[in-house]
Amino acid sequence: MKKGFYLLLTFSLIIASCGSDDDSCAESLFFEDADGDGLGNSATSQLACSAPEGFVTNSDDNDDTQALANLISETTNNLPAPQEGGQGQPISGDFTLFDLDTGAITTNTDDWDIAFRATTIIINGGISQGTTDEPSRIGDAAAYIATGTMADITSADTSLFVQDAADALAIPSGSDNGWYNYSGSPLFLITPLPGKILVIKTTEGKYAKIEILSYYKDAPTSPDAFVNEGRYFTFNYVYQPNNNISTF
Amino acid sequence: MNKFIVILLFFCFNIYCQKNTNPKENDSLKAEKLEEVILTATRTERQLSSIPLPVTLISGSTIKKSGSVRIDDILAEQTGLILATDESGFEGIQIQGIDSDYTLILMDGVPLVGRSSGNFDLSRLTVGNIKQIEVVKGPTSSLYGSEALAGVINIITEKPKNEKLTGRASYRIGSFTAQDMNLSLQQKKGKIRYALFGNRFSRDKYVLEPNDSDRSITVNPIENYTLNGKFYYDINNNIKLSASGRYFDQLQNSGFSFTDTDGDGQEIIVNAEGEALERDLNTLLKLDQNWSEKFNTTYEFYYTNYIAEDISRDTETSDIVFNNLFDQKLLRAEIRGNNIIKGMGTITTGVGYQYDFLDRTLFENEVSFNSQYVYTQFDMIPLENLNIIIGVRFDNHSEYSNQVSPKFAFNYKITDQLSIKGSTGYGFKAPDFRQLYLNFTNPSVGYSVLGYKTVPKELQLLFDQGQLAFGDNLTPDQGQARVNELIATFDNDLEAESSIGYNIGLNYRQSKKLILDINFFRNDFRNLIDTFVLARKTNGQNVFSYQNFDEIYTEGIEFSATYNIFENLEISGGYQLLYAFNKDIKKQVENGELFVRDENLTSIVLSKDDHYGFFNRSRHNGNLKVFWDIKKWDLNVNARAIYRSKYGLGDTNGNGTFDTFDDDAVVVDGFATLNIAASKKLFKKFEIQAGADNILNYQNINIPGNPGTRGYVRVNYQF
Repeated sequence: MKKGFYLLLTFSLIIASCGSDDDSCAESLFFEDADGDGLGNSATSQLACSAPEGFVTNSDDNDDTQALANLISETTNNLPAPQEGGQGQPISGDFTLFDLDTGAITTNTDDWDIAFRATTIIINGGISQGTTDEPSRIGDAAAYIATGTMADITSADTSLFVQDAADALAIPSGSDNGWYNYSGSPLFLITPLPGKILVIKTTEGKYAKIEILSYYKDAPTSPDAFVNEGRYFTFNYVYQPNNNISTF
Repeated sequence: MNKFIVILLFFCFNIYCQKNTNPKENDSLKAEKLEEVILTATRTERQLSSIPLPVTLISGSTIKKSGSVRIDDILAEQTGLILATDESGFEGIQIQGIDSDYTLILMDGVPLVGRSSGNFDLSRLTVGNIKQIEVVKGPTSSLYGSEALAGVINIITEKPKNEKLTGRASYRIGSFTAQDMNLSLQQKKGKIRYALFGNRFSRDKYVLEPNDSDRSITVNPIENYTLNGKFYYDINNNIKLSASGRYFDQLQNSGFSFTDTDGDGQEIIVNAEGEALERDLNTLLKLDQNWSEKFNTTYEFYYTNYIAEDISRDTETSDIVFNNLFDQKLLRAEIRGNNIIKGMGTITTGVGYQYDFLDRTLFENEVSFNSQYVYTQFDMIPLENLNIIIGVRFDNHSEYSNQVSPKFAFNYKITDQLSIKGSTGYGFKAPDFRQLYLNFTNPSVGYSVLGYKTVPKELQLLFDQGQLAFGDNLTPDQGQARVNELIATFDNDLEAESSIGYNIGLNYRQSKKLILDINFFRNDFRNLIDTFVLARKTNGQNVFSYQNFDEIYTEGIEFSATYNIFENLEISGGYQLLYAFNKDIKKQVENGELFVRDENLTSIVLSKDDHYGFFNRSRHNGNLKVFWDIKKWDLNVNARAIYRSKYGLGDTNGNGTFDTFDDDAVVVDGFATLNIAASKKLFKKFEIQAGADNILNYQNINIPGNPGTRGYVRVNYQF
C-alpha cells in the first residue's frame, strides 16, 4: 500500500515537473486520511493540484488508525417540564435535567447539561439565579442561540458561548427574548421561535445543537392551549461525540 | 417656551397688520360655494374637486339613502376606508393601511377623545344630524397636530338655516330589535338660530356561532342616547357667536365567567355580571369675526370629557370582581385667522393651547399634559392652473419632544377635465397616557407593565421590595448599579411616533357624468412605540416598558370611478391595493433570515411568496355601488357591495409576522358584504325606507361586530 503511494508520489512529481509551465495548476499540501474520517494525519502529506484518493486538506487527526464516531441525531419526545406556582404565585419545582452526553433525562444534579422547568431553560454552567429549587451549576457547560435552520448551523462558534448569569440566562427567558413566543390573548400559546437553534457545549466539553419543536404533549402541528397539555418539550438534537470537534 | 412666545407675538402682530388690508369682493369664491365644499383639508371652504389632497366627501343624502345608523356603517362603505376589527375585538377605521390609532376624529372641527386600545369606536356616533363627513387622507399634522398621521375624519353636523320652524322625526326598527329614533328641530329667528337633536338607539343581544359552545360569543344588548344643541347669535353681519353641546350616554350590560380557586383550593366557576357605561360630553364656544371680505378670525373654546366605567359583580356574593374607570378631559383654546391676498391666495394662521387630563384605574395618579401650538398655511395660486399649499405647525409639549410638522401640496390643471395632484407631509402621534403613565401588575399572572415616565420610580421600588431577579450572587450594590443602568436608558424623552406621507394622483372629471380618481400613496413610519422586556421578576414573570422601535411602511394605489349612466342612475366603484410591511421583518425575509415550521415542525426559511406582511391588512379592498333615483315614483333604490381580501389577525408560529404557515384560527378569508336599501316619499312629508344589510349573511367569529343579515324598516316624518 505504502509503496504504491510512493510510486504515485514520484509519478505525480514527474507529471508536476513536466507540467510546470501549466499555470492552471496550483499545488497544495494534502494529508493522508487512513481511517476515512475526513481528518488527515499531519505526518503523511504530499503536494498535489487536487486531493489524491485517501488524502484530505485537514491535518487535525491525532489518531489516524481509528475513525471518528458518527454524529448522533436524535429526537426527544415529551420531556416533561413541570412547575409549581406561577400565575402570580412563587415559582418552584424541580427542573428536569437532561444529559446530552448520554441522551437521557438524569437525576444526577452534578452531571447534566441542560434543564427545563416550564418555559425556563438553564444550563449547567455559570451561576444560579437563586429561584426556588433551581439547581446550582456544577459543570462548565455553555450555550448560545443561533439563527438559522438545523441544517444551516453546521458548527459551534466558540466565541459566542455564554453561561447562566445572575441577571440573564444563557438561553434568555421571556417571550421573543429567547427560544419562544407567548401569544397572549386569545390563543395563549407558547410557540418555539422558528429558526432558533440552541448551540450547547456540554459538561464534557462536547458540542451539540438543539431545535425545540413543541411545548405541548405529543407535539401537535396546530396546538390549542386549552386542549393540549403544555410543559412537554419535544426537540431534535445533533450531538458531536468526538473531542475538540465543533462541527455537527 | 420662550421661542413659543416669540412666535405667538409674531402671530398677533401678523393679525394686526392684516386687519388693515383692503376689503374687496372675491367672485370666484362665491361661485365655488354652489359646488361640493370641504372644510377639513385647508380649514377654509374649498371646492372638493380642486383640493390638492386625497379627500373623500360623504354627503348627508348618501348616508340617508344607505340607511346607515351609526358613523362606522357608512365609513366602511367608502373606498380606502376599512372597518377593521383587531385581535381584541375592537373596531376602528383603517386609512391607507394605517390603524385607527393614527386617525384623528373631529366633530365640527374639534377632536373627540376616548379610545379603547387605541381604536376610536365610531359606533358611538349617530348619523342622525350629520350634514356631511369629510375624510382627508395622508398626514395632516401641519394643521391638526398629534394623531393626524393616517388622516382626519371630520364629522360636520347640520346647521340651522330656515326661518320657519322645521323638524324631523324618524323611527327605525330592525333585526335584533335594533331601534333607532331621531328627533330634530331647527329655526332661525332674527339674529338667533338654533338646532336641537336627540337620538336613542338600542339593540338586543346576539350570539355568534351559537352551536359551538367553545367558541360562541354573546354580544350584549346596548342602549344609548345622544343629545345635541346648537345656538347661533349673529351680533351683527360680521360677528357671529355660536355655542354647541353634545351629550352621549351608553349602557351595555356585560357578563362573563371565569375559573378561580376558593379558600380550600378547589376550583370554582365565578359568574359575573355588570355594566359598561360610556359618557361623552362636548361643548364648543365659537366666535367668528369678519374684519373685512379679505380677513376673518375665529376664536374657539372647547371642552370635552369622556368617561368609560366597567363594573362587574359576582352574581352570588355581589363582590366587585372587575372595576375599570377611564376619565379623560381635554380643554382647548384656539385663535385662527384667514387672510385673502388678492392674486396670491389665502394665509391661514392659528395658535392654541391644550390641556389633557386622564384619571384611570390602572394609573397610580391622575395625569395631565400641557401643550401649545402654532400653525400657518399659505394656500396660493401662482399660476392660473396651479394651486400650491405650504403649511407648517409647531407643537410644544410638556411630556415629549417638540414637533415641527411641515406640509406641501400642489394641484395642476392639465386640461379643464384632467388634473394632477401631489402632496407630502409629516404626521405624528404623541405617546399616549398609557405609554407614559401606566403602572400595572397583572394580579393573576404577575407580570408588570410600566409606562415610560413611571420607570425610574417604580423599577427602584420593585428592586427595593426584592421583586427583581438579578440573582443571589449579586451584592445589593451591584444590583443597584444594574437598576441605575436600566433607569438611565429612560433619561431621554420618549419620541413621538411619526410618519412622512407621499400622495400623487390624477383626477379626471367630465362634469358630473364621469369622475375618475387614481392615487398612489406611501407612508413611512418611524419610532413606533412598542413594549419590551425591561427586567425579570423573582416570580419568573417580566417587567415590561415602552420604547421607540419599529419602522414600518404602507404603500398602495387607490382607484375610484363614478359614472352616471343617465341622470338618476349612478354606478360607482372603488379599489385599493395595499402593501404594509415592517421594514426589519421584510429585510429578514429578503435575506432568508426569517423562519417558519413545516409539517414536521422543523424550521425552514420563510420565502417571500409566503410572506403577507402586517397583521389585519388586506391586499385588496373594493366596493361597487348602484344608486337609482326614480323621480316619477319618488323612489330611491340602491345596492352596495364591499369586498375585503384575506388577512391575518396574529402570528401563531412565533416569527412575528403573518405568513401562509400561520394557523387558520387567526386567518380571516376574503369576504364580501352586500347591503341594499329602498326609500319612497309619501304625501310629501313622509318617507319610508326598507333595507337589509349584509344580505349574504357573512359572519366570522373574529368580527364580533357583525351579527349577520339585518333587515329594517324606517319611517321619517318631516314637519
